[in-house]
Amino acid sequence: MTSTTPQPNQPTSVPVLRRILVYGAFLALGIMVVGAIVGGLVAGVSGVVSALVGTLMAVVFMGITAGSILLANRFAGTEAAIGAFFGIVMGGWLLKFVVFLALMFLLRGQPWIQPVVLLLSIIAGVVGSLVVDVVVVMKSRMPYASDVTLPKAPSDG
Amino acid sequence: MDATTVLAAISGNIATVGYGLAAIGPAIGVGIVVGKTIEGVARQPELAGRLQVLMYIGIAFTEALAFIGIAVGFIFV
Repeated sequence: MTSTTPQPNQPTSVPVLRRILVYGAFLALGIMVVGAIVGGLVAGVSGVVSALVGTLMAVVFMGITAGSILLANRFAGTEAAIGAFFGIVMGGWLLKFVVFLALMFLLRGQPWIQPVVLLLSIIAGVVGSLVVDVVVVMKSRMPYASDVTLPKAPSDG
Repeated sequence: MDATTVLAAISGNIATVGYGLAAIGPAIGVGIVVGKTIEGVARQPELAGRLQVLMYIGIAFTEALAFIGIAVGFIFV
């Protein structure tokens, strides 16, 4: 349920996306704890580190999309709203994948990384954040025509 | 002339091709999602908020494929 009303200038998606980010952070903590325990049992210290790094990567990179939409919504109502929105969201997407590729290049072959644990925790983080997204969106209530400002009633005077 | 001579020798790791393949699908998918959102918002600007959330879900599912694909490529090389 959407409890907080958005600012008059902002689209109704803002509270939903904010909640997605917050719940995603909680989920990340949970997956990190479980992953670190399992990774530690399976592969020792490198397993713990890999689980932490993998989960953090998955959740942060998945969260950048919601974050970029939230950032772009600050331009709502201005002249450059549409251009800024898609520029920021798509630019963020591109940047995210460049950083992700660079991180994978850096992490590959590091002695303190256990590849299988890293991969499994990335997959767990990605799937987990998808579940959070779907649950939050399903539970959110958004009015159909909310981003419209009605004209003022004509005064009788 | 046998087949090995006709075909050029490929050196390096074939998994490198996989990074590109892992990027193509999600790129097309996200392009479609965002393009359709632009269409929707252009038709009905008052629905921008709802469409943004739906777009977000679409992007999230599509990019999940990219993340897993790229990670698998790197890890199992």
